[in-house]
Amino acid sequence: MRPDGRDGKWVRRDLGPVVRPYAVTGGRTEPADGEVLDLVAVVVAVGSDSGAGDDPIRQTPEHRKILRLCQRPVTVADVASDTALPVGVVRVLLADLILQDAVRVVRNQPAAQLPGNDVLKEILNGLRAL
Amino acid sequence: MGSARSDGTDGGGGADDVPVLAAHKILIAGGFGAGKTTLVAAISEVRPLLTEERLSSAGAGLDDLRGVVGKTTTTVAMDFGRITISERLVLYLFGVPGQERFWFMWDELAYGALGAVVLADVRRLRDCFPSVNYFETRKLPFVVAINCFDDAPRYDPEEVRVALDLDPDVPALLCDARQLSSVKNVLTTLVESISAENQSPRGMVSALPPV
Repeated sequence: MRPDGRDGKWVRRDLGPVVRPYAVTGGRTEPADGEVLDLVAVVVAVGSDSGAGDDPIRQTPEHRKILRLCQRPVTVADVASDTALPVGVVRVLLADLILQDAVRVVRNQPAAQLPGNDVLKEILNGLRAL
Repeated sequence: MGSARSDGTDGGGGADDVPVLAAHKILIAGGFGAGKTTLVAAISEVRPLLTEERLSSAGAGLDDLRGVVGKTTTTVAMDFGRITISERLVLYLFGVPGQERFWFMWDELAYGALGAVVLADVRRLRDCFPSVNYFETRKLPFVVAINCFDDAPRYDPEEVRVALDLDPDVPALLCDARQLSSVKNVLTTLVESISAENQSPRGMVSALPPV
């Protein structure tokens, strides 16, 4: 067992991460604000990329990594994918950042009703162009 | 982006300058081995996505829990793909595990989804019954894509439609989950049927409050 050269994580190939997923949340499994963000909810860091909202006391390296990813609008699913953290963990960490006013939700789940035909048409054209 | 802004509001560097991102999701459902992973990989940028599975009695016999008393979740990788339509419009495909023990994930995934693809394997048609039932009950638009495995018998989509007792407005079509062109056809059929539903008088009526 040794830190993986690329990302410094302690891994053992056959066993998965040595650190339990929710260790990075201090064992918390529920978002502090009680709101479960949808997988395609869009979040963005508040303020510029100057490090505003960066609170070294309350933020872990994982918080800061998420904050960096949120410099432009991203979905919860993409944050989870880019950090290699499970979705539930990312939700807890994002809720912390939202409560610190470091991140805001641009749009939570897609509108419960269907999108308009202009959006559907854009999707159709996009699919056909693949 | 249509045109460059010349009114001096550019250059603030803040997030407000970034076009609003609209993300939509399409679910890919079907039984184990129906080809969900293959289909997602054929058309999208596949991304690793971990989620947690709550271990329950449904997993008994499947998940070896010896030595992990008190462990209630385990991390599982999901089929997840991203299709970038434009700078401000992204389509996500989520593979929905068909086994009963994953059902807790369905409501969350289905919420706000555009629609779903139910992948069917004619050799194990009953594997997609739960998916069909689920999307019918949730009134989520879906298509049934019959994955043509090389060694599977060929059926007419209409036969499959009858076997699954599909409503007439649910498209059923053959596909090859390995082929981009075929998967494109499946997804465009789905989006076209959503579009048609949007315009149909029935859709308008159901959007009105009950009298």
